[in-house]
Amino acid sequence: MTDATGRPDTGERHLSSREMRAAGVSKSYGATVALEHADIALKAGEVHALLGENGAGKSTLVRIFTGAVIPDRGEMRLHGEIYAPRSIIEARKREVATAFQELSLVPNLSVAQNFLLPALAGRGSPLISHRHVLARGAEILERHGLTRIDPAARIGDLPLAERQRIEIARAIENAGRVLILDEPTASLAETDWLFEQIGKARARGVAILYISHRLAEVREICSSATVLRNGRSIGTVGLASASDGDIFEMMVGHRVEHARRPARAVDAARTPRLAVENLAGHGLRGVSLHLGAGEILGVAALEGQGQRGLFRLLAGLETPAGGVIRVDGKLAAYRNPRAALRCGSGISYLPEERKTEGILAGLSAATNVVLPLLPRVGRAGFIGRRDEEKAAQPSADQVALNPRYLGFAIGDLSGGNQQKALMARTLATGARTLLLFDPTRGVDVGTKESIYAAIRAFAERGGSVLFYSSELPEIVQLADRCLVLYGGQVFRELQGDDIAEQTLVAAMIGHDPCAPAARAPAPFATPAHAVAENAR
Amino acid sequence: MSDIATAGASGSAPSAVRSGSAPRHRLWRLTQGAGLILGLYVLLYALYAYQQPRALDSYAIAALMNNTAPLALAAAGQTLVVLSRGFDLSIAGVISLTNVVLAVYPLEGPGGALLSLLVCLAIGGAVGAVNGWLVAYLRLQSIAATLATMIICQGIALVILNAPGGAVSDWIADELTGRLWGVVPVSGLVVAVVIGLWLLVRRTDYGIALYAIGADEPAAALSGVNVRRTRFLTFVAAGMLYGLAGLMLSAQTATGNPNSGTPLLLLSFAAVALGGTSLSGGRGGLFASVMGAATLTLLQKVLFSSGVSSFYTGLFQGVVLIVAVVFSGLLTRIGERK
Repeated sequence: MTDATGRPDTGERHLSSREMRAAGVSKSYGATVALEHADIALKAGEVHALLGENGAGKSTLVRIFTGAVIPDRGEMRLHGEIYAPRSIIEARKREVATAFQELSLVPNLSVAQNFLLPALAGRGSPLISHRHVLARGAEILERHGLTRIDPAARIGDLPLAERQRIEIARAIENAGRVLILDEPTASLAETDWLFEQIGKARARGVAILYISHRLAEVREICSSATVLRNGRSIGTVGLASASDGDIFEMMVGHRVEHARRPARAVDAARTPRLAVENLAGHGLRGVSLHLGAGEILGVAALEGQGQRGLFRLLAGLETPAGGVIRVDGKLAAYRNPRAALRCGSGISYLPEERKTEGILAGLSAATNVVLPLLPRVGRAGFIGRRDEEKAAQPSADQVALNPRYLGFAIGDLSGGNQQKALMARTLATGARTLLLFDPTRGVDVGTKESIYAAIRAFAERGGSVLFYSSELPEIVQLADRCLVLYGGQVFRELQGDDIAEQTLVAAMIGHDPCAPAARAPAPFATPAHAVAENAR
Repeated sequence: MSDIATAGASGSAPSAVRSGSAPRHRLWRLTQGAGLILGLYVLLYALYAYQQPRALDSYAIAALMNNTAPLALAAAGQTLVVLSRGFDLSIAGVISLTNVVLAVYPLEGPGGALLSLLVCLAIGGAVGAVNGWLVAYLRLQSIAATLATMIICQGIALVILNAPGGAVSDWIADELTGRLWGVVPVSGLVVAVVIGLWLLVRRTDYGIALYAIGADEPAAALSGVNVRRTRFLTFVAAGMLYGLAGLMLSAQTATGNPNSGTPLLLLSFAAVALGGTSLSGGRGGLFASVMGAATLTLLQKVLFSSGVSSFYTGLFQGVVLIVAVVFSGLLTRIGERK
């Protein structure tokens, strides 16, 4: 795989001795090209962003750097020497470490044990001293300002945000030369802690690759960015000189417009599709709401204000401790999602965790889409290969999922396409009420636009949508009406043009509605989490 | 250290592995690991002693230990594989094979016994190495790979001895089923040594890696754990334990039977499940499985001394298994809610 001939790098080697450089790296799986040609250079002490839509080849490049995937062609150099890791262990020996988006912590081990994996026993003795492990774990936690976490706590018992912090702290510990952060803020409530740790690593002379969909964040911490599109590195830009529009154009290939949905009048006289009174349990303390036909109702909240419970209760995954749910004006008591789907005009839920609650990785995208209507797909109980794809086609079109992907195993598709397929499934159920929990979580700009379009089109046809989003611009763009949850209750309800980022931010941290907004709007995308620190 | 108090009782759930964020009550933790099965065993033993006043004699205890040891050791080996999220069917083949080897080629005297022990460990280790190679390096599913090695081993056993017969050396048959100083049953000692070794292994990098790959193999691999080597070593160690089980079974029966390992196959899984080890990997422990095996054996005795026909033994064992698994599931759920 080392193809150094004809590349004039002998002259610049001493200049760039403290950097990681990849040139012409490519990888394909059979006929699918995951990465066609990537060039990137990470300098020591610099934070470099890697931008691109889902499926652009970012994860593949990360996996190549980590040693989890061996590239077909191309050359990598680390501090001037050839770098061709054949395993994760080898990459670690060269002091290249990654904080993975999917988190690589072992759930049944303690925090301290996870930090020290795979070698917990100290030198000299094959036996592990429990106390010693805890002490070293506590030391690492302290170094990263995480003293509030018990080093003996089981990873599986910790909330997602803490797990992500531990994943990041562990990667920083192991990264002597190169640190790769793959979507490090996907479940973090604030970026201050992360940026502080990045600053410390940078001061040590670590080269950092930062991957995120949140451009505001990237601008704050990174100095330059490399954009990948369709498996090729399109170019590297200095972030100070490039506008958001420029970067989007590089990522998507065309300009993206942010248009707010024109306000629409919802017929108040008609019975609402979904009416909830005093719903309690699973983090909720008496929530009432109503959702009319053709209405898009947004839910905004900081992490853990009861939004998860609200959606899971409405989807039939949990049973409420109190309160009433009415569907089409009739009292509804369903105890599972299947019953929810059959209740009145139907309620369909798009779950939060794509990997664990959403996709069936081994089955084709088409099968995943038509799953809820399988009985209607086949002929006399038998389902042909083409039947599924044909049945999945209309829903796939609504979310602009390329029909060529329908035959692939969904696990092999990019995150964005998986999300499109799940959205298609939610639509395919035929339910008139959709519950979408963070429908664009961790997906790229292009996919977001397709999903927004699908949601809007669904509402135009008279469907009702209740959605939660962790990104405020999404709520501003999509929602006709917005509920702000705080401490398990509806803290504020906003309508039409009142839905603005600064108003939402204030309400989310429990500010009095009459008082002025706590914070000026951020220039670009303010992730909802970015304000969580204020709430603490 | 705090885990001394629970280390013996919660062999299944190493406190280092399972300690949650909230400091749980120590008494409560007893119910989490081997505590439940230990309690069940004591209860059953009390019943047994009530029926048979002589049950507390050292002779009766030794006899019970002798009956228990083969299944206990087999279950111990199975536990290792189950913890790593796998199944090992070769258990039946290895035990049958070692049994016929010992019966057809008896080696007399203590020296011969030592050599026999080494032969048993070597057979088990070799079969385990083949399993490990097939599963860890060729990525075969463990059930398929070990099914094949089980059939092969049983085939070889039939070639060596095609019908029950032969005689195990007297020294093995006498000494391994006897008592040291008239008190300590040797078979119990063998099991205790295995448990002791496990308590040490649990505190090594390998031990942690075993739990890690059982719970989440991709995460363990990304954390730098050598998944293949861990899996390979697990099958080898399990195979050696089956070899030891074969030796103890031969000592007890004193004769050879090419199908002697077959009844232990499913009972080993029953013992593992009874001990509360999750069949989906990463949770449980070896000591609990040994206690599970002991409970199954004791149940047989109790039923026998109650005058229940031995045809009903399987029925009762199955019911106890279901009740125990349901009960431990309930306890876990209550524990999580706390």
